[in-house]
Amino acid sequence: MNRPLSDETGALDLWAEGAPLSLDPARRLAGPLLALGLAAGLVAAARLLADQPQGTTLALSLVLGSLFGFVLQRSRFCFFCLWRDLIDWGDPRGALGVLAALAVGIAGYTAVYGAFLPDPSGTRLPPQAHIGPVGPVLALAGLLFGAGMAISGSCISAHLYRLGEGSPTAPFALLGTALGFGLGFLAWNPLYLASISEAPVLWLPRSLGYAGALAAGLAALTLLAWPLLRLLASGPPPATPRRLDVARTVFVERWPAWAGGLAVGALSVVAYFRISPLGVTAEIGSRSRQAAAGLDLLPARLEGLDAFRGCATVIRDALLTPNGVFVAGLVLASFAAALAAGQFKPARPTTGQVVRGLIGGLLLGFGAMIGLGCSIGTFLSGVMAGAVSGWVFGLAMLAGVTATLLVGRRLGALA
Amino acid sequence: MRLRILAAFALLVGAALPLSARAETGPLVTTEWLEKKLDDPKVRIVEVSVEPGVFERGHIPNAQNVVWHTDLVETVTRDIASPEKFQALARRLGVDKDTTVVLYGDNNNWFAAWGAWVFAQYGLTDNVKLLDGGRKKWEAEKRPLDTRTAEAPPSRFTVAQTAPNLRARLADVLAVAKGERDAKILDIRSPDEFSGKIIAPSGVQELAIRAGHIPGSVNVPWARAVNADGTLKSKEELRKLYADAGVDGSKPIITTCRIGERSSHTWFVLSRVLGYDAKNYDGSWTEYGNTVGVPIVNVAGTVWGGK
Repeated sequence: MNRPLSDETGALDLWAEGAPLSLDPARRLAGPLLALGLAAGLVAAARLLADQPQGTTLALSLVLGSLFGFVLQRSRFCFFCLWRDLIDWGDPRGALGVLAALAVGIAGYTAVYGAFLPDPSGTRLPPQAHIGPVGPVLALAGLLFGAGMAISGSCISAHLYRLGEGSPTAPFALLGTALGFGLGFLAWNPLYLASISEAPVLWLPRSLGYAGALAAGLAALTLLAWPLLRLLASGPPPATPRRLDVARTVFVERWPAWAGGLAVGALSVVAYFRISPLGVTAEIGSRSRQAAAGLDLLPARLEGLDAFRGCATVIRDALLTPNGVFVAGLVLASFAAALAAGQFKPARPTTGQVVRGLIGGLLLGFGAMIGLGCSIGTFLSGVMAGAVSGWVFGLAMLAGVTATLLVGRRLGALA
Repeated sequence: MRLRILAAFALLVGAALPLSARAETGPLVTTEWLEKKLDDPKVRIVEVSVEPGVFERGHIPNAQNVVWHTDLVETVTRDIASPEKFQALARRLGVDKDTTVVLYGDNNNWFAAWGAWVFAQYGLTDNVKLLDGGRKKWEAEKRPLDTRTAEAPPSRFTVAQTAPNLRARLADVLAVAKGERDAKILDIRSPDEFSGKIIAPSGVQELAIRAGHIPGSVNVPWARAVNADGTLKSKEELRKLYADAGVDGSKPIITTCRIGERSSHTWFVLSRVLGYDAKNYDGSWTEYGNTVGVPIVNVAGTVWGGK
């Protein structure tokens, strides 16, 4: 297990094992200083937002988004890379990190639910929790989203944090995502009438109770973790730890996946308790819906869409929305984290990166639109919420990644 | 003479009474009063907010949640909660005829006032009060919020007959519109909805086929009754606000809007605060504007939605 966890589009993460930083001492200092400036800027922005009327939510969204971006960049929490490490290299650490996030989230959500909705057995759902309709369209959404991950090199949240690392693919993948959302809106009405309108919204605590759903969720995670843990035990022993250097461990070296997972789980619970479940596509979806509607490309009504739970794409008039500042905080904090660690490495995009970014992004956006969220909003926040939709989307997503990788490699199109 | 002295004495005492004592007799309670009564078993605090999730993420301690679009209505028949449903709700909340019920909510108590109107349908009128300023003032004054669930012992409330004198039906409104009955219709929608420039505020799904207003109705948007801090304006200001539009309480009043909810805020002001004879027309524009063969006024000249 001494091979580093992989990072963007197959490149090994050479920073993880303490590779030398930039050799130029002036540049080495410039990065952390700039990062400090950015962090101060984020704090000042949050302060400013908090002083606005009703600004607490915006300020807190910025803070949580920044923390999320920091955690994602520090642990390189990329669902695609973590999954590929498992299937290509038999390295289960990333997958275990995701399971850790889910376990913390399920337990935390259950505690919050007890206060929000003491009795889950009625017809009501806990507020805002991402509990979506379960049907063939959801599975299709997961498959297409997974295909988009394999083609573009990661999911939407990872493209966002990589934007802060100067990734040459991320801007095109995110542009493709916005366009994919537009296509999703165009396809929504037929899909809704043919299938989604009849898809049941399944919430585990309603049938199992909170204790039952918690036990079932943790049991499922344990079953999934069991073979991974055995795989972990059979691997080479971990590298002998060097002398502990806290600053370097936190700000330069890559966090182990389990640490990232625990932090993501904790952030998910705090975000749900104070604002809304974690998600990164509401703003992207809402803005592309606004743009498409402004160009008269959309049907006058998107049937039933705004009544569903998930990453809501209702067009808002406000300049700043909670999800908008969350995503802005995510990208800027990732930028700051990358600068501090010497991992901001902008590069001129190659044609291949542009094409794969755009095509993969289209699939990501389309899948996230018809699935009412992405790997964060529908999978992570859904599983934590006890939603069957979270599990279905997650499994379909992994199937989509795997199938696309297999086919793409056979055709020689994917590495 | 003796009577007059007595009356003057009573007035003096009334004026000298501390705020907290007066609060219990009027239709409004203050935030200071409520904070002292949080643990009073004869006071039940109920939040009715528009935004889902507002209550859950922090409410006034010991407040209970009522969801306006499921608890207070019959969704299938488009009606207020049935007597059985309301009785079950009141029992769950631990509310009875001798309980002081304090309703509050977001959006300047908009739906809390609607809750008060529904409560009044089932005989809970004078003991139901609004927290003046609602959530907005409570939060602005940095008073505590809680996320725990209050558990009130259930009551044995039995529903009284509904109060038809508080609710106007299409036939009542039509009679006024046609001049067969003398009453004032007060439309509290935005000026653009009233004039017929738009059918409904943007983003609203429930529409009427025509735009405009009921003949003879006057327009005072509901939020004009509210101060910047969320509290209601003073009685004098309110009296003047409506009198300027020709509504002075000398005739029965019918309040109306799009679906009957914003108008219950104005109903509360007219009926409970000013003591006017007022009914709320909950069918409102989505019923009236869609009804076949009834007259409307459309000053904007855009009667039909279609071209």
